Amino acid sequence: MLKYILKRLAFAVVALFIITAVIFSLMRLMPIEGYFPNFDKMTPEMIQNGLENLGLTDPLPVQLFRFYRDLFHGDLGTSWIYQPNVPVTEILARKIPVSLTLGCMAMVLSLVVGIPLGVVMSRYKGRLPDKLGTGFIVLLNAVPVVVYYLVIQMVGSRSLALPMLYSRSDPTSWILPILCLSLANIAEYAMWMRRYMVDQLNSDYVKLAMAKGVSRRDIMYHHVLRNAFVPIIQLLPTSFLNTIIGSIYVESLFSVPGMGGLLVDVIKRQDNAMVQALVLIFASVGILGLLLGDFFMTLADPRIKLGQERGGR
Amino acid sequence: MEQKEHDVILSVRDLNVKFTLRGRTLHAIRDVSLDLYQGESLAIVGESGSGKSVFTKTFMGLTDQNGTIESGTIHYQNGMDLAKLRTEKEWQAIRGKEIAMVLQDPMTSLNPLKTIGKQIEEAVVLHQGLKGEAARKVVLETLTHVGIDDPERRYKQYPHEFSGGMRQRVVIAIAIACRPKILICDEPTTALDVTIQAQILELIKALQKQYGLTTIYITHDLGVVANVADRIAVMYAGDIVEIGTCEEVFYDPRHPYTWALLSSLPQLGIKGEPLYSIAGAPANLFNEVKGDAFAPRNPQALKIDFVERPPYFEVSPTHKARTWLLDPRAPKVEPPEHIKQLREQGVRLRGQA
Repeated sequence: MLKYILKRLAFAVVALFIITAVIFSLMRLMPIEGYFPNFDKMTPEMIQNGLENLGLTDPLPVQLFRFYRDLFHGDLGTSWIYQPNVPVTEILARKIPVSLTLGCMAMVLSLVVGIPLGVVMSRYKGRLPDKLGTGFIVLLNAVPVVVYYLVIQMVGSRSLALPMLYSRSDPTSWILPILCLSLANIAEYAMWMRRYMVDQLNSDYVKLAMAKGVSRRDIMYHHVLRNAFVPIIQLLPTSFLNTIIGSIYVESLFSVPGMGGLLVDVIKRQDNAMVQALVLIFASVGILGLLLGDFFMTLADPRIKLGQERGGR
Repeated sequence: MEQKEHDVILSVRDLNVKFTLRGRTLHAIRDVSLDLYQGESLAIVGESGSGKSVFTKTFMGLTDQNGTIESGTIHYQNGMDLAKLRTEKEWQAIRGKEIAMVLQDPMTSLNPLKTIGKQIEEAVVLHQGLKGEAARKVVLETLTHVGIDDPERRYKQYPHEFSGGMRQRVVIAIAIACRPKILICDEPTTALDVTIQAQILELIKALQKQYGLTTIYITHDLGVVANVADRIAVMYAGDIVEIGTCEEVFYDPRHPYTWALLSSLPQLGIKGEPLYSIAGAPANLFNEVKGDAFAPRNPQALKIDFVERPPYFEVSPTHKARTWLLDPRAPKVEPPEHIKQLREQGVRLRGQA
């Protein structure tokens, strides 16, 4: 097991090297106009100077080597345009915790609400709780997020007198953004959980458990729940990644100074150092999420064995 | 033996089960009556859709949600009428404790995420009132009883680490661990290799003796029946058309459907000739069945077969069949050639004995 995890981590490092090298090279293919906001008014000398300052005149392998060398010293470079001359690590150290806090809380909330909702729906399949839950899921999937985000903001701030905008020091102002972030996931978890529960409830081992006299309740909690949760684990890596990426809608709506839309923003402004750092971080979190997902999978299902050529069956 | 015959453990009278499917009603069990004797093993045979499984599921309250018992009684030994049970609590007193079940497919009838030890232990805890180490000990004993070696190691293993035959042994162990009085085996060998089938049947037979079980086999494999059953009930279109001891039904069948069923046995076929198969399709139970349900597929059907449902005619105290052929007024209809041969064989066998 440990050997397998080490192997996976080694692969992850290789993957990260490749990803950063690709994104690094791609950024260098962008037109040089993008680096200077007032490009039209600049003389060729000024442009040449600027490029030299940015280190962009060196051959690509040299630049790449410099990037990796700095990376090993924990230096991700300096932002050029987004926040001129501020170290990238400093910008991210300010922004990541904001998004991460909201994101993690939203993830916990969606799991804590979504999974039981799915269980209840499957338990009362075809009856009122199931129909209400289905209505809720359909509504959330059918209505564009921005619409219900606005409704939540309006209702929350007017009727419930919650703060309309985010403030770091006031946790009550986090409630509405967290709610917005979690609703879609609640619907997704509930939908899949219901589906897998219903699948499992129709299986033969449930019939056998009933035939041996186990109560319906115990069958639900001791037999079906864990079986239904195994495929749900597949959804976790994506959710995990989403906690750090942040949501551009939610963050701009509640003016949260987080990561939402940051990557797109810095790509458009051609802030190479920022782009590289963000891609590196997102890729790491994504790989970590997959690794954790696989790891939880082996914990939950004895049939899945990591690190073996052939699984049992 | 005589004494035993009269100890009725389960008595079904005029049972009717209906299913509602997309607004239509399916009459799955039509006025079935049956006495199950203490300690016997009864085989219920019949083709797919004849209602074998539905019938036995009513004994455990496992009828699918869209099915209901319309009328009739199922009296259990302890005086309970199982047809009247509704709530899960009431059923809990029967399921496992009094009647247990072995399902057809051992590959899917165990929970893949629980060790087999825990799955057997669940039954032990529920029905034998044991806990912890004591329960574990009983589980290990039960595993040995069903022929699983090295129970200590097997206890901690998951179903996927077992072969099909071994899993069926585990399923049987679960049933036995409930300490039931009646064991219903719903096609216990259908999903298994031929070589394993015999072992599993032997095992059930041995356990029946050991624990004094009454067993019901549901099967469409007459080979299984011949091996294990004391009595045979032949079901067609939700009804028991013929019931008798194993010998009586095999060597002296009276109902045309039983003739047809036996005629389709490959063992009775003649080399080089096409195998016999029953013409037509099983009765559609969505429609009201008039007369004898088998009449439309029976080339020798009498006129009355299409008009009125035959009652049971007794052939012997243990053997009866629902066919007008047994009515004294009926014309003489000869059974097919190989059925006659069977009858002669039976006479010879009895003569030897």
